Amino acid sequence: MYPEPTNIWQAIEYSPLGIGIAESLWAFPMIETVHVIALVTVFGTIAIMDLRMLGLASTNVPITRMSNDTLKWTWIGFVTAAITGTLLFASKASTYMVNPFFLTKMGIMALAGLNMLIFHFVTYKTVDQWDNATSPPTAVKVAGLLSILMWLVIVFCGRAIGFTLGIYLPETGF
Amino acid sequence: MLDLLFNMTDWLRTTFLLDFSFWLTETSLSLFMVENFWNVPIAQVIHIVSIALAFASLLMLTLRVNEKAGTTLSISANAARYLPWMWWGLAGIVISGLLMITAEPIRNMVNAVFWIKMVLLAVAMVLSISFQKAVKAKAIAAGDAYVASSGTRTTGIALVVLWCFIMLCGRWIAYVPV
Repeated sequence: MYPEPTNIWQAIEYSPLGIGIAESLWAFPMIETVHVIALVTVFGTIAIMDLRMLGLASTNVPITRMSNDTLKWTWIGFVTAAITGTLLFASKASTYMVNPFFLTKMGIMALAGLNMLIFHFVTYKTVDQWDNATSPPTAVKVAGLLSILMWLVIVFCGRAIGFTLGIYLPETGF
Repeated sequence: MLDLLFNMTDWLRTTFLLDFSFWLTETSLSLFMVENFWNVPIAQVIHIVSIALAFASLLMLTLRVNEKAGTTLSISANAARYLPWMWWGLAGIVISGLLMITAEPIRNMVNAVFWIKMVLLAVAMVLSISFQKAVKAKAIAAGDAYVASSGTRTTGIALVVLWCFIMLCGRWIAYVPV
């Protein structure tokens, strides 16, 4: 019924998991719903932290406290979005792997992760000096600005994938 | 459940909504929305980002009334931070949502799931107004030591759950056959 896979992406797509999600009437929409709830939690909590880092909101809350309050929800949301995203990917792996918006989304997520790592392991070392600052140092503001901009592009790419699925797929006769 | 949705959509087809949708399809705004490939996806991105801002603000405020986050500030100070973002987020949701309806009137308005979503949204609005009273006027009157009642705590959690169901309906509008 399904052709013999010729690469790893087809092998994922034609696995029982991939086929199961693709053939089910409700699996893809339900997993996508959980993905949406997770990603709005990620984007919303990141925006709250970024606005604090930019000195634009919650300036009466110490940055360490704001990080404590938001970060666990960002991670819960992110892990949920990553799991559901992987399941969605499995159902159409080769279609996603030729889609430039999907590839851009993955690349920018890696950069957003790098931005976060640099902030938490380098910039954050001196947090004692600017924890209560209404207007934090430039390095903190730049990290916050880069973060919010990159997540906006990630959301855009995520939506663009859904509108361009068939466009980049080579003729397979299948 | 599926039969009920089908019957509801069948009934919607007999109402003025069908003619209204056809009329809307011919308007210049609807034509503008569908003529450019990126207009609908951009409206959806604005919709999602607005939901994210409103939903995360609601989440933080609900966590605060339940004493799970934001305890450095009083409930009324947290409300002053997050309530405007909830309402402005809602404004973004409504404006982008109206654009999406205008772009594809039949897919949305002749669709049982869309109207279930609207009813849930109306319930969320009524609950939000009572939640707002508890975290704003009542909290200010009681001073910084104000502790939210169990009713307010539950209302916050109910709103978070309700918004998850609203998002569920939002996604299923695209998948139910109409």
